Amino acid sequence: MSISILICDDSNFARKQVLRALPADLQANVSQAVHGEEAIQMIRENNIELLFLDLTMPIMDGYSVLEHLKKTDTNCFVIVVSGDIQPDAVERVKKLGAIGFLKKPVNKQEIESLLIEFGLLIRPPL
Amino acid sequence: MSTTELSEEYRDCFQEITNVAMGQAADKLARFLDVFIILPVPNVNMLEPSELAMALGAVNRSESVSAVCQGFIGSGIAGEAMLIFNDSTFQEIAQLIKADTDDSNKLELEILMDTANLLIGTFLTGLAEQLEVRFSLGQPSVLGRHVNIEDLIKINEHRWKQTLTIEINYKIEGSNISCDLLILFTDDSVNILKQKADYLLE
Repeated sequence: MSISILICDDSNFARKQVLRALPADLQANVSQAVHGEEAIQMIRENNIELLFLDLTMPIMDGYSVLEHLKKTDTNCFVIVVSGDIQPDAVERVKKLGAIGFLKKPVNKQEIESLLIEFGLLIRPPL
Repeated sequence: MSTTELSEEYRDCFQEITNVAMGQAADKLARFLDVFIILPVPNVNMLEPSELAMALGAVNRSESVSAVCQGFIGSGIAGEAMLIFNDSTFQEIAQLIKADTDDSNKLELEILMDTANLLIGTFLTGLAEQLEVRFSLGQPSVLGRHVNIEDLIKINEHRWKQTLTIEINYKIEGSNISCDLLILFTDDSVNILKQKADYLLE
């Protein structure tokens, strides 16, 4: 079973950090988008199941993407990956439907536990 | 190697590191003032001193400003951090912190120094952590009070050459409060910063 993932961040360096932090045993199809508008288009055209979303981006920021996905009732898990760690920021994105919030720079263990928690990564019992 | 150019790869890497450090600093200030801070996309670029004034997003050219600067040095990297406020924002901040003094001169200075300490200190710690270096900070000093922004830059222009500059414009949601955090690295620091970035880019 392979999952289709989209990483949306205006920074190439940040996208690579997320890519490298994905669990090695996760079977995934990964695409990338450089701003919110591109992400929404890719979600519409492809069947994206999981979106890693930055908040501070030019053209269309992460909050607007979340609002759009909520309004259009899009079925896609969103994990926000952001340097904006204000308590209010975390609360706002959760209210807009994000299933998780990871602070930058991303950490392998944190991604892994989120994926397991939401059944996106299944590990056989030891 | 000339330091006047910065490849897109390095610029992107420095900008992302800035994003993280800027978020940590905003978080501290947000908790201190009990507000939400709107984070910008920071500007990271090689700038001439004459271009500095243009780069300052928060600063209204027709208004007077006050500024604090603080030097930092460590692991072969050195530079200056500057925080610039429009003077008209002091009153709003004073309301936020419920200051109860009639001595507006003293209060303004306190707000200026406290905010500078908090933003500059947290930002530089966040930057250093990611680069795996350590900075020592000098004493903060007032660069100018109630001055025109172009004069402020002109008076201090001799201190800087074309240099790697980080500019962040913090805005407080629901208010007119906005300030500019500037980080100017010395010329010699740029190559060391690139070496540190190479570890991250590997």
